[in-house]
Amino acid sequence: MQTSKQAYPFRWRVMDAVENTASAVWPSRFSRGLPYLMLLPAALLVLLLVIGMIQIAESSAHRLDRSTFLPSEDYTGANYSQIFSTGLYWTVLWRSLLGSVVVTALCLVFAFPYSYLMVRTSSPLLRKFLLIALFLPFFIGQVVRAYGWLIILGNQGVANGLLGLVGIEPVRLLYNYPAVLFGLVQYMLPFAVLMLAPALAAIPEELESAANSLGASWWRTFTHIVLPLAKPGLVGAGLVVLTLSLTDFAMPAILGGGSQDFIANAIYDQFFRTSDQGMGAALTLILVGIGSLAVGLVFTLFGAGTLAMGRDRK
Amino acid sequence: MNAPLSKTIVIWVMVGMVLIVLSAPTLVVLGASFTSGNIIAFPPDGFSLQWYAKIAMAADLRDAFMRSLAVATICTLIAIPIGTLAGIALSKYAIRFEKTFQVYLLLPFTIPLIGSGIGLMLLFGQMGMLGQIWPIGVACCVINLPFMIWAVSASAGGLDPDLELAAANCGAPPISTFLHVTLPAVMPGVISGSLLMFILALNEFLVSLLLTDARTVTLPVQIYNSIRSIITPDLAAISVVFIACAALVIALLDRLVGLDIFLKSK
Repeated sequence: MQTSKQAYPFRWRVMDAVENTASAVWPSRFSRGLPYLMLLPAALLVLLLVIGMIQIAESSAHRLDRSTFLPSEDYTGANYSQIFSTGLYWTVLWRSLLGSVVVTALCLVFAFPYSYLMVRTSSPLLRKFLLIALFLPFFIGQVVRAYGWLIILGNQGVANGLLGLVGIEPVRLLYNYPAVLFGLVQYMLPFAVLMLAPALAAIPEELESAANSLGASWWRTFTHIVLPLAKPGLVGAGLVVLTLSLTDFAMPAILGGGSQDFIANAIYDQFFRTSDQGMGAALTLILVGIGSLAVGLVFTLFGAGTLAMGRDRK
Repeated sequence: MNAPLSKTIVIWVMVGMVLIVLSAPTLVVLGASFTSGNIIAFPPDGFSLQWYAKIAMAADLRDAFMRSLAVATICTLIAIPIGTLAGIALSKYAIRFEKTFQVYLLLPFTIPLIGSGIGLMLLFGQMGMLGQIWPIGVACCVINLPFMIWAVSASAGGLDPDLELAAANCGAPPISTFLHVTLPAVMPGVISGSLLMFILALNEFLVSLLLTDARTVTLPVQIYNSIRSIITPDLAAISVVFIACAALVIALLDRLVGLDIFLKSK
Protein backbone atom coordinates (compact mmCIF):
# COMPACT_ATOMS: atom_id res chain seq x y z
CA MET A 1 0.00 0.00 0.00
CA GLN A 2 1.54 3.28 -1.08
CA THR A 3 1.00 6.29 1.11
CA SER A 4 1.28 9.72 -0.37
CA LYS A 5 4.40 10.21 1.73
CA GLN A 6 6.18 7.42 -0.11
CA ALA A 7 4.92 8.61 -3.45
CA TYR A 8 6.66 11.90 -2.86
CA PRO A 9 9.81 10.95 -0.92
CA PHE A 10 11.44 13.16 1.64
CA ARG A 11 14.52 13.61 -0.55
CA TRP A 12 12.41 15.21 -3.27
CA ARG A 13 10.96 17.63 -0.73
CA VAL A 14 14.47 18.64 0.32
CA MET A 15 15.50 19.09 -3.30
CA ASP A 16 12.38 21.17 -3.97
CA ALA A 17 13.20 23.40 -1.02
CA VAL A 18 16.80 23.74 -2.21
CA GLU A 19 15.70 24.57 -5.75
CA ASN A 20 13.16 27.12 -4.50
CA THR A 21 15.70 28.77 -2.24
CA ALA A 22 18.22 28.86 -5.08
CA SER A 23 15.78 30.45 -7.50
CA ALA A 24 14.67 32.94 -4.84
CA VAL A 25 18.26 33.93 -4.06
CA TRP A 26 19.42 33.93 -7.67
CA PRO A 27 16.42 34.14 -10.08
CA SER A 28 16.96 32.72 -13.52
CA ARG A 29 16.91 36.16 -15.10
CA PHE A 30 20.26 36.68 -13.37
CA SER A 31 21.62 33.56 -15.05
CA ARG A 32 24.06 35.59 -17.12
CA GLY A 33 25.75 36.54 -13.89
CA LEU A 34 25.97 32.95 -12.65
CA PRO A 35 29.55 32.26 -13.79
CA TYR A 36 30.69 35.43 -12.03
CA LEU A 37 28.94 34.31 -8.86
CA MET A 38 30.76 30.98 -9.14
CA LEU A 39 34.09 32.76 -9.55
CA LEU A 40 33.45 35.11 -6.63
CA PRO A 41 34.72 32.90 -3.76
CA ALA A 42 37.97 32.15 -5.59
CA ALA A 43 38.40 35.82 -6.41
CA LEU A 44 37.86 36.74 -2.74
CA LEU A 45 40.41 34.17 -1.61
CA VAL A 46 43.02 35.52 -4.01
CA LEU A 47 42.12 39.01 -2.81
CA LEU A 48 43.89 38.12 0.45
CA LEU A 49 47.13 38.02 -1.53
CA VAL A 50 46.41 41.35 -3.17
CA ILE A 51 45.76 42.95 0.22
CA GLY A 52 48.98 41.38 1.46
CA MET A 53 50.84 42.94 -1.45
CA ILE A 54 49.37 46.35 -0.62
CA GLN A 55 50.53 45.89 2.99
CA ILE A 56 54.02 45.09 1.76
CA ALA A 57 54.05 48.13 -0.50
CA GLU A 58 52.91 50.27 2.42
CA SER A 59 55.59 49.10 4.83
CA SER A 60 58.30 49.28 2.17
CA ALA A 61 57.83 53.04 2.10
CA HIS A 62 58.82 53.46 5.75
CA ARG A 63 62.43 53.64 6.85
CA LEU A 64 63.45 51.90 10.04
CA ASP A 65 64.47 54.47 12.62
CA ARG A 66 67.68 53.07 14.12
CA SER A 67 67.33 55.01 17.37
CA THR A 68 63.82 53.84 18.30
CA PHE A 69 63.64 50.68 16.14
CA LEU A 70 60.23 51.76 14.89
CA PRO A 71 59.29 52.44 11.27
CA SER A 72 59.28 56.13 10.39
CA GLU A 73 55.99 57.99 10.02
CA ASP A 74 56.68 59.66 6.71
CA TYR A 75 56.76 58.01 3.32
CA THR A 76 60.15 57.68 1.69
CA GLY A 77 61.88 55.80 -1.07
CA ALA A 78 65.02 55.45 1.01
CA ASN A 79 64.76 51.66 1.30
CA TYR A 80 64.78 51.29 -2.47
CA SER A 81 67.68 53.64 -3.03
CA GLN A 82 69.66 51.83 -0.38
CA ILE A 83 68.99 48.47 -2.05
CA PHE A 84 70.09 49.75 -5.43
CA SER A 85 73.26 51.23 -4.02
CA THR A 86 74.27 48.17 -1.97
CA GLY A 87 76.59 45.81 -3.81
CA LEU A 88 75.51 42.83 -1.68
CA TYR A 89 71.95 42.95 -2.98
CA TRP A 90 73.16 43.09 -6.57
CA THR A 91 75.29 40.00 -5.89
CA VAL A 92 72.32 38.14 -4.40
CA LEU A 93 70.03 39.26 -7.23
CA TRP A 94 72.53 38.21 -9.87
CA ARG A 95 73.09 34.87 -8.16
CA SER A 96 69.33 34.16 -8.08
CA LEU A 97 68.73 35.25 -11.68
CA LEU A 98 71.66 33.30 -13.11
CA GLY A 99 70.76 30.29 -10.99
CA SER A 100 67.13 30.22 -12.06
CA VAL A 101 68.06 30.50 -15.75
CA VAL A 102 70.57 27.64 -15.48
CA VAL A 103 68.09 25.52 -13.51
CA THR A 104 65.33 26.20 -16.05
CA ALA A 105 67.53 25.20 -18.99
CA LEU A 106 68.71 22.00 -17.28
CA CYS A 107 65.18 21.09 -16.21
CA LEU A 108 63.73 21.53 -19.69
CA VAL A 109 66.54 19.49 -21.30
CA PHE A 110 66.14 16.59 -18.89
CA ALA A 111 62.37 16.75 -18.47
CA PHE A 112 61.81 16.52 -22.21
CA PRO A 113 62.98 12.92 -22.82
CA TYR A 114 61.30 11.83 -19.57
CA SER A 115 57.88 13.19 -20.55
CA TYR A 116 58.37 12.02 -24.13
CA LEU A 117 59.04 8.44 -23.03
CA MET A 118 56.19 8.61 -20.50
CA VAL A 119 53.70 9.80 -23.11
CA ARG A 120 54.87 7.65 -26.02
CA THR A 121 55.70 4.32 -24.41
CA SER A 122 53.39 1.48 -25.38
CA SER A 123 53.90 -0.26 -22.03
CA PRO A 124 51.37 0.79 -19.38
CA LEU A 125 53.65 -0.67 -16.73
CA LEU A 126 56.59 1.53 -17.71
CA ARG A 127 54.30 4.55 -17.82
CA LYS A 128 53.03 3.85 -14.34
CA PHE A 129 56.56 3.33 -13.05
CA LEU A 130 57.72 6.65 -14.53
CA LEU A 131 54.67 8.41 -13.06
CA ILE A 132 55.25 6.98 -9.60
CA ALA A 133 58.97 7.83 -9.72
CA LEU A 134 57.90 11.36 -10.58
CA PHE A 135 55.13 11.82 -8.03
CA LEU A 136 56.94 10.34 -5.07
CA PRO A 137 59.57 13.12 -4.80
CA PHE A 138 56.97 15.70 -5.89
CA PHE A 139 54.77 14.77 -2.93
CA ILE A 140 57.54 14.47 -0.37
CA GLY A 141 58.31 18.14 -0.02
CA GLN A 142 61.37 20.26 -0.27
CA VAL A 143 62.71 19.96 3.24
CA VAL A 144 62.82 16.18 3.25
CA ARG A 145 64.42 16.10 -0.19
CA ALA A 146 67.05 18.66 0.83
CA TYR A 147 67.69 16.55 3.92
CA GLY A 148 68.26 13.53 1.67
CA TRP A 149 70.84 15.51 -0.28
CA LEU A 150 72.54 16.51 2.95
CA ILE A 151 72.98 12.82 3.74
CA ILE A 152 74.21 12.02 0.22
CA LEU A 153 76.54 14.95 -0.31
CA GLY A 154 77.81 15.44 3.25
CA ASN A 155 81.45 14.94 4.16
CA GLN A 156 80.72 11.43 5.48
CA GLY A 157 77.94 10.98 2.97
CA VAL A 158 77.14 8.40 0.36
CA ALA A 159 78.83 10.27 -2.49
CA ASN A 160 82.09 10.69 -0.61
CA GLY A 161 81.85 7.10 0.58
CA LEU A 162 81.66 5.92 -3.01
CA LEU A 163 84.54 8.19 -3.99
CA GLY A 164 86.53 6.76 -1.09
CA LEU A 165 86.06 3.24 -2.46
CA VAL A 166 87.98 4.22 -5.58
CA GLY A 167 90.59 5.99 -3.49
CA ILE A 168 89.60 9.63 -3.81
CA GLU A 169 89.90 11.89 -0.78
CA PRO A 170 86.60 13.33 0.56
CA VAL A 171 85.53 16.41 -1.35
CA ARG A 172 83.41 19.23 0.03
CA LEU A 173 80.27 18.82 -2.06
CA LEU A 174 77.87 20.87 0.03
CA TYR A 175 77.38 24.55 0.80
CA ASN A 176 78.37 25.82 -2.62
CA TYR A 177 76.55 27.22 -5.63
CA PRO A 178 76.48 24.00 -7.72
CA ALA A 179 74.96 22.11 -4.77
CA VAL A 180 72.11 24.64 -4.55
CA LEU A 181 71.51 24.49 -8.31
CA PHE A 182 71.59 20.71 -8.24
CA GLY A 183 69.02 20.64 -5.44
CA LEU A 184 66.84 23.10 -7.32
CA VAL A 185 66.96 21.03 -10.52
CA GLN A 186 65.87 17.97 -8.57
CA TYR A 187 63.11 19.98 -6.89
CA MET A 188 61.83 21.40 -10.19
CA LEU A 189 62.03 18.32 -12.44
CA PRO A 190 58.58 16.95 -11.52
CA PHE A 191 56.99 20.36 -12.19
CA ALA A 192 58.69 20.54 -15.58
CA VAL A 193 57.70 17.01 -16.59
CA LEU A 194 54.08 17.50 -15.49
CA MET A 195 53.76 20.76 -17.43
CA LEU A 196 55.40 19.26 -20.54
CA ALA A 197 53.52 15.96 -20.68
CA PRO A 198 50.07 17.27 -21.75
CA ALA A 199 51.65 19.28 -24.56
CA LEU A 200 53.56 16.23 -25.80
CA ALA A 201 50.47 14.05 -25.53
CA ALA A 202 48.69 16.48 -27.84
CA ILE A 203 51.21 15.87 -30.66
CA PRO A 204 49.85 13.13 -32.95
CA GLU A 205 52.27 10.25 -33.24
CA GLU A 206 51.42 9.96 -36.95
CA LEU A 207 53.18 13.27 -37.59
CA GLU A 208 56.45 11.75 -36.45
CA SER A 209 55.89 8.61 -38.48
CA ALA A 210 55.12 10.75 -41.50
CA ALA A 211 58.35 12.71 -41.08
CA ASN A 212 60.20 9.42 -40.68
CA SER A 213 58.76 7.87 -43.80
CA LEU A 214 59.66 10.99 -45.74
CA GLY A 215 63.25 10.31 -44.79
CA ALA A 216 63.86 12.63 -41.83
CA SER A 217 66.29 11.36 -39.20
CA TRP A 218 64.94 11.21 -35.65
CA TRP A 219 66.93 14.28 -34.73
CA ARG A 220 65.46 16.24 -37.64
CA THR A 221 61.99 15.01 -36.74
CA PHE A 222 62.63 16.16 -33.19
CA THR A 223 63.85 19.65 -34.07
CA HIS A 224 61.35 20.27 -36.87
CA ILE A 225 58.19 18.53 -35.63
CA VAL A 226 58.20 17.67 -31.94
CA LEU A 227 60.01 20.67 -30.53
CA PRO A 228 57.92 23.36 -32.29
CA LEU A 229 54.67 21.59 -31.42
CA ALA A 230 55.75 21.20 -27.80
CA LYS A 231 56.06 24.96 -27.41
CA PRO A 232 53.04 25.45 -25.12
CA GLY A 233 54.46 22.82 -22.79
CA LEU A 234 57.94 24.31 -22.89
CA VAL A 235 56.53 27.76 -22.13
CA GLY A 236 54.43 26.49 -19.23
CA ALA A 237 57.22 24.37 -17.79
CA GLY A 238 59.87 27.04 -18.30
CA LEU A 239 57.75 29.68 -16.59
CA VAL A 240 56.94 27.57 -13.58
CA VAL A 241 60.53 26.44 -13.11
CA LEU A 242 61.95 29.92 -13.67
CA THR A 243 59.70 31.70 -11.20
CA LEU A 244 59.80 28.98 -8.56
CA SER A 245 63.57 28.61 -8.59
CA LEU A 246 64.16 32.37 -8.75
CA THR A 247 62.18 32.79 -5.56
CA ASP A 248 63.12 29.60 -3.74
CA PHE A 249 64.08 29.69 -0.09
CA ALA A 250 64.68 26.18 1.22
CA MET A 251 67.34 24.89 -1.19
CA PRO A 252 69.68 27.88 -0.83
CA ALA A 253 69.09 27.86 2.92
CA ILE A 254 69.73 24.15 3.47
CA LEU A 255 72.16 23.20 0.69
CA GLY A 256 73.85 26.60 0.52
CA GLY A 257 74.49 26.76 4.24
CA GLY A 258 74.01 30.52 4.46
CA SER A 259 76.76 31.36 1.98
CA GLN A 260 74.65 31.05 -1.17
CA ASP A 261 71.62 33.20 -0.35
CA PHE A 262 68.96 33.83 -2.97
CA ILE A 263 66.62 36.83 -2.82
CA ALA A 264 64.07 35.00 -0.68
CA ASN A 265 66.75 34.30 1.95
CA ALA A 266 67.78 37.95 1.97
CA ILE A 267 64.14 38.93 2.50
CA TYR A 268 63.73 36.44 5.32
CA ASP A 269 66.87 37.76 7.02
CA GLN A 270 65.61 41.34 6.80
CA PHE A 271 62.36 40.37 8.53
CA PHE A 272 63.63 37.92 11.13
CA ARG A 273 67.33 38.65 11.72
CA THR A 274 67.74 42.41 11.35
CA SER A 275 64.02 43.07 11.95
CA ASP A 276 64.07 45.77 9.30
CA GLN A 277 60.55 45.29 8.03
CA GLY A 278 60.64 48.20 5.59
CA MET A 279 63.81 46.96 3.94
CA GLY A 280 62.47 43.39 3.71
CA ALA A 281 59.21 44.66 2.25
CA ALA A 282 61.06 46.71 -0.36
CA LEU A 283 63.11 43.66 -1.35
CA THR A 284 59.93 41.56 -1.56
CA LEU A 285 58.28 44.09 -3.82
CA ILE A 286 61.32 44.17 -6.10
CA LEU A 287 61.24 40.38 -6.30
CA VAL A 288 57.51 40.41 -7.09
CA GLY A 289 58.24 43.01 -9.75
CA ILE A 290 60.99 40.94 -11.36
CA GLY A 291 58.82 37.81 -11.24
CA SER A 292 55.78 39.52 -12.77
CA LEU A 293 58.00 41.11 -15.41
CA ALA A 294 59.35 37.71 -16.41
CA VAL A 295 55.87 36.15 -16.46
CA GLY A 296 54.39 39.08 -18.41
CA LEU A 297 57.23 38.97 -20.92
CA VAL A 298 56.80 35.26 -21.57
CA PHE A 299 52.99 35.58 -21.73
CA THR A 300 53.14 38.33 -24.35
CA LEU A 301 55.89 36.62 -26.34
CA PHE A 302 54.59 33.05 -26.30
CA GLY A 303 51.08 33.03 -24.76
CA ALA A 304 50.12 31.24 -21.56
CA GLY A 305 51.06 27.78 -22.86
CA THR A 306 49.89 24.92 -20.68
CA LEU A 307 49.39 27.41 -17.84
CA ALA A 308 46.06 28.60 -19.26
CA MET A 309 43.01 27.72 -17.19
CA GLY A 310 39.60 27.25 -18.71
CA ARG A 311 38.33 27.04 -22.24
CA ASP A 312 40.86 28.44 -24.64
CA ARG A 313 43.76 26.22 -23.73
CA LYS A 314 45.94 25.24 -26.62
CA MET B 1 56.95 2.49 -33.64
CA ASN B 2 60.40 1.25 -34.51
CA ALA B 3 62.73 3.83 -33.02
CA PRO B 4 66.34 4.03 -34.23
CA LEU B 5 68.87 2.68 -31.77
CA SER B 6 70.61 6.02 -31.25
CA LYS B 7 67.32 7.66 -30.26
CA THR B 8 66.50 4.88 -27.80
CA ILE B 9 69.96 5.16 -26.23
CA VAL B 10 69.81 8.95 -25.87
CA ILE B 11 66.34 8.83 -24.32
CA TRP B 12 67.13 6.02 -21.91
CA VAL B 13 70.44 7.49 -20.75
CA MET B 14 68.76 10.80 -19.95
CA VAL B 15 65.73 9.17 -18.35
CA GLY B 16 68.04 6.97 -16.31
CA MET B 17 69.89 10.03 -14.99
CA VAL B 18 66.60 11.72 -14.12
CA LEU B 19 65.36 8.59 -12.35
CA ILE B 20 68.52 8.39 -10.24
CA VAL B 21 68.41 12.07 -9.32
CA LEU B 22 64.69 11.95 -8.51
CA SER B 23 64.85 8.83 -6.36
CA ALA B 24 68.21 9.19 -4.62
CA PRO B 25 67.06 11.38 -1.67
CA THR B 26 64.01 9.21 -0.99
CA LEU B 27 66.01 5.99 -1.02
CA VAL B 28 68.81 7.39 1.10
CA VAL B 29 66.42 8.80 3.70
CA LEU B 30 64.67 5.42 3.85
CA GLY B 31 68.00 3.64 4.26
CA ALA B 32 69.33 6.06 6.87
CA SER B 33 66.22 5.71 9.01
CA PHE B 34 67.02 2.04 9.65
CA THR B 35 70.60 2.59 10.78
CA SER B 36 71.65 1.29 14.16
CA GLY B 37 74.42 3.85 14.57
CA ASN B 38 74.10 7.22 16.28
CA ILE B 39 75.17 9.20 13.24
CA ILE B 40 74.40 8.80 9.61
CA ALA B 41 77.40 7.27 7.90
CA PHE B 42 78.14 5.40 4.74
CA PRO B 43 78.25 2.43 4.58
CA PRO B 44 75.45 2.12 7.19
CA ASP B 45 76.15 0.61 10.60
CA GLY B 46 73.54 -2.11 10.51
CA PHE B 47 69.79 -2.47 10.83
CA SER B 48 67.56 -1.34 13.67
CA LEU B 49 64.20 0.25 14.31
CA GLN B 50 65.43 2.26 17.29
CA TRP B 51 64.88 5.64 15.60
CA TYR B 52 61.27 4.81 14.87
CA ALA B 53 60.80 3.87 18.51
CA LYS B 54 62.39 7.19 19.42
CA ILE B 55 60.16 9.37 17.24
CA ALA B 56 57.06 7.46 18.32
CA MET B 57 57.83 8.64 21.87
CA ALA B 58 58.53 12.26 20.93
CA ALA B 59 55.43 14.29 21.79
CA ASP B 60 56.59 17.45 20.02
CA LEU B 61 56.98 15.62 16.71
CA ARG B 62 53.61 13.95 17.05
CA ASP B 63 51.98 17.31 17.80
CA ALA B 64 53.70 18.92 14.84
CA PHE B 65 52.49 16.13 12.57
CA MET B 66 48.94 16.50 13.88
CA ARG B 67 49.09 20.24 13.18
CA SER B 68 50.31 19.53 9.66
CA LEU B 69 47.39 17.15 9.15
CA ALA B 70 44.98 19.80 10.46
CA VAL B 71 46.44 22.44 8.13
CA ALA B 72 46.16 20.12 5.13
CA THR B 73 42.57 19.20 6.02
CA ILE B 74 41.48 22.82 6.42
CA CYS B 75 43.17 23.73 3.16
CA THR B 76 41.45 20.90 1.27
CA LEU B 77 38.01 21.60 2.76
CA ILE B 78 38.22 25.23 1.63
CA ALA B 79 39.65 24.41 -1.77
CA ILE B 80 37.04 21.82 -2.80
CA PRO B 81 33.94 24.07 -3.09
CA ILE B 82 35.81 27.21 -4.14
CA GLY B 83 38.02 25.55 -6.73
CA THR B 84 35.24 23.38 -8.12
CA LEU B 85 32.91 26.31 -8.72
CA ALA B 86 35.65 28.44 -10.25
CA GLY B 87 36.90 25.59 -12.45
CA ILE B 88 33.44 24.85 -13.80
CA ALA B 89 32.72 28.55 -14.36
CA LEU B 90 35.97 29.03 -16.29
CA SER B 91 35.58 26.00 -18.51
CA LYS B 92 31.82 26.08 -19.22
CA TYR B 93 30.84 29.68 -19.66
CA ALA B 94 31.85 32.45 -21.99
CA ILE B 95 33.08 34.98 -19.50
CA ARG B 96 33.67 38.61 -20.18
CA PHE B 97 37.24 39.62 -19.30
CA GLU B 98 38.16 35.93 -19.25
CA LYS B 99 41.87 36.75 -19.73
CA THR B 100 41.76 39.16 -16.80
CA PHE B 101 40.15 36.54 -14.57
CA GLN B 102 42.76 34.00 -15.62
CA VAL B 103 45.67 36.30 -14.88
CA TYR B 104 44.06 37.27 -11.56
CA LEU B 105 43.45 33.67 -10.50
CA LEU B 106 47.02 32.77 -11.49
CA LEU B 107 48.34 35.40 -9.05
CA PRO B 108 49.10 32.77 -6.40
CA PHE B 109 51.59 31.30 -8.86
CA THR B 110 53.05 34.51 -10.22
CA ILE B 111 53.53 36.14 -6.83
CA PRO B 112 56.59 34.46 -5.29
CA LEU B 113 55.87 32.27 -2.28
CA ILE B 114 58.01 34.46 -0.05
CA GLY B 115 55.94 37.46 -1.18
CA SER B 116 52.62 35.71 -0.57
CA GLY B 117 53.86 34.41 2.76
CA ILE B 118 55.06 37.78 4.01
CA GLY B 119 51.96 39.56 2.71
CA LEU B 120 49.72 37.10 4.52
CA MET B 121 51.92 37.31 7.61
CA LEU B 122 51.49 41.09 7.74
CA LEU B 123 47.77 40.82 7.01
CA PHE B 124 47.03 38.07 9.53
CA GLY B 125 49.31 39.77 12.04
CA GLN B 126 47.32 42.97 11.79
CA MET B 127 44.07 41.04 12.23
CA GLY B 128 45.59 39.32 15.28
CA MET B 129 45.13 35.86 13.81
CA LEU B 130 48.71 34.61 14.01
CA GLY B 131 49.39 31.78 16.43
CA GLN B 132 46.42 29.74 15.24
CA ILE B 133 46.23 26.77 12.91
CA TRP B 134 43.45 27.75 10.55
CA PRO B 135 45.10 30.85 9.01
CA ILE B 136 47.94 28.55 7.90
CA GLY B 137 45.35 26.30 6.23
CA VAL B 138 43.78 29.30 4.48
CA ALA B 139 47.22 30.47 3.35
CA CYS B 140 48.12 27.03 1.95
CA CYS B 141 44.80 27.01 0.12
CA VAL B 142 45.39 30.43 -1.45
CA ILE B 143 48.87 29.68 -2.72
CA ASN B 144 47.92 26.33 -4.31
CA LEU B 145 44.41 27.23 -5.50
CA PRO B 146 45.34 27.22 -9.24
CA PHE B 147 46.11 23.49 -8.97
CA MET B 148 42.53 22.83 -7.87
CA ILE B 149 41.04 25.07 -10.57
CA TRP B 150 43.19 23.40 -13.25
CA ALA B 151 42.24 19.92 -12.22
CA VAL B 152 38.51 20.74 -12.23
CA SER B 153 38.50 22.77 -15.43
CA ALA B 154 40.40 20.00 -17.23
CA SER B 155 37.63 17.55 -16.30
CA ALA B 156 34.85 20.03 -17.05
CA GLY B 157 36.27 20.62 -20.50
CA GLY B 158 35.40 17.03 -21.38
CA LEU B 159 31.76 17.46 -20.35
CA ASP B 160 29.36 17.74 -23.28
CA PRO B 161 27.12 20.80 -22.64
CA ASP B 162 24.29 18.96 -24.42
CA LEU B 163 24.09 16.59 -21.45
CA GLU B 164 23.13 19.44 -19.13
CA LEU B 165 20.64 20.77 -21.67
CA ALA B 166 19.17 17.27 -21.97
CA ALA B 167 18.76 17.09 -18.20
CA ALA B 168 17.07 20.48 -18.17
CA ASN B 169 14.89 19.40 -21.06
CA CYS B 170 13.75 16.38 -19.06
CA GLY B 171 12.60 18.78 -16.37
CA ALA B 172 15.56 18.83 -14.00
CA PRO B 173 15.87 22.18 -12.24
CA PRO B 174 19.32 23.85 -12.15
CA ILE B 175 20.57 22.47 -8.82
CA SER B 176 19.54 18.91 -9.72
CA THR B 177 21.26 19.25 -13.08
CA PHE B 178 24.37 20.42 -11.29
CA LEU B 179 24.31 17.63 -8.71
CA HIS B 180 23.43 14.77 -11.07
CA VAL B 181 25.12 15.74 -14.33
CA THR B 182 27.80 18.40 -13.90
CA LEU B 183 29.29 17.30 -10.59
CA PRO B 184 29.72 13.59 -11.48
CA ALA B 185 31.39 14.63 -14.72
CA VAL B 186 34.00 16.78 -12.98
CA MET B 187 34.47 14.35 -10.07
CA PRO B 188 37.84 12.99 -11.32
CA GLY B 189 39.13 16.56 -11.38
CA VAL B 190 37.76 17.29 -7.92
CA ILE B 191 39.37 14.14 -6.51
CA SER B 192 42.78 14.64 -8.10
CA GLY B 193 42.70 18.35 -7.26
CA SER B 194 41.84 17.83 -3.61
CA LEU B 195 44.46 15.09 -3.18
CA LEU B 196 47.03 17.49 -4.66
CA MET B 197 45.90 20.28 -2.35
CA PHE B 198 46.11 17.97 0.66
CA ILE B 199 49.61 16.67 0.02
CA LEU B 200 50.99 20.07 -0.99
CA ALA B 201 49.59 21.65 2.18
CA LEU B 202 50.96 18.78 4.27
CA ASN B 203 54.42 19.51 2.86
CA GLU B 204 54.17 23.29 2.71
CA PHE B 205 57.29 24.76 4.20
CA LEU B 206 58.02 28.40 3.45
CA VAL B 207 54.57 29.84 4.11
CA SER B 208 54.31 27.74 7.27
CA LEU B 209 57.74 28.98 8.37
CA LEU B 210 56.51 32.56 8.07
CA LEU B 211 53.11 32.03 9.68
CA THR B 212 53.95 29.65 12.52
CA ASP B 213 55.36 30.38 15.93
CA ALA B 214 56.59 28.03 18.63
CA ARG B 215 53.04 26.91 19.46
CA THR B 216 51.87 26.21 15.94
CA VAL B 217 54.99 24.81 14.29
CA THR B 218 54.19 22.28 11.54
CA LEU B 219 56.23 19.18 10.81
CA PRO B 220 58.22 20.48 7.77
CA VAL B 221 59.21 23.56 9.78
CA GLN B 222 60.11 21.37 12.74
CA ILE B 223 62.36 19.24 10.52
CA TYR B 224 63.95 22.36 9.04
CA ASN B 225 64.70 23.75 12.48
CA SER B 226 66.29 20.48 13.55
CA ILE B 227 68.40 20.21 10.39
CA ARG B 228 70.02 23.47 11.27
CA SER B 229 71.46 22.24 14.52
CA ILE B 230 72.54 18.63 13.97
CA ILE B 231 71.91 15.75 11.59
CA THR B 232 70.76 12.62 13.43
CA PRO B 233 68.95 9.55 12.10
CA ASP B 234 65.72 10.39 13.94
CA LEU B 235 65.14 13.10 11.32
CA ALA B 236 65.35 10.40 8.66
CA ALA B 237 62.73 8.38 10.52
CA ILE B 238 60.34 11.37 10.63
CA SER B 239 60.97 12.01 6.97
CA VAL B 240 59.81 8.47 6.28
CA VAL B 241 56.41 9.58 7.63
CA PHE B 242 56.24 12.03 4.72
CA ILE B 243 57.36 9.35 2.28
CA ALA B 244 54.57 7.10 3.56
CA CYS B 245 52.00 9.91 3.19
CA ALA B 246 53.19 10.59 -0.36
CA ALA B 247 52.97 6.90 -1.25
CA LEU B 248 49.47 6.74 0.22
CA VAL B 249 48.26 9.71 -1.80
CA ILE B 250 49.78 8.29 -4.99
CA ALA B 251 48.04 4.96 -4.36
CA LEU B 252 44.73 6.80 -3.78
CA LEU B 253 45.19 8.89 -6.93
CA ASP B 254 45.90 5.76 -8.92
CA ARG B 255 42.91 3.86 -7.51
CA LEU B 256 40.36 6.67 -7.70
CA VAL B 257 41.18 8.49 -10.93
CA GLY B 258 44.27 6.85 -12.43
CA LEU B 259 47.65 8.59 -12.58
CA ASP B 260 47.27 8.91 -16.34
CA ILE B 261 44.92 11.85 -15.76
CA PHE B 262 47.99 14.09 -15.57
CA LEU B 263 49.09 13.06 -19.06
CA LYS B 264 45.87 14.03 -20.80
CA SER B 265 46.37 16.65 -23.44
CA LYS B 266 44.38 19.66 -22.37
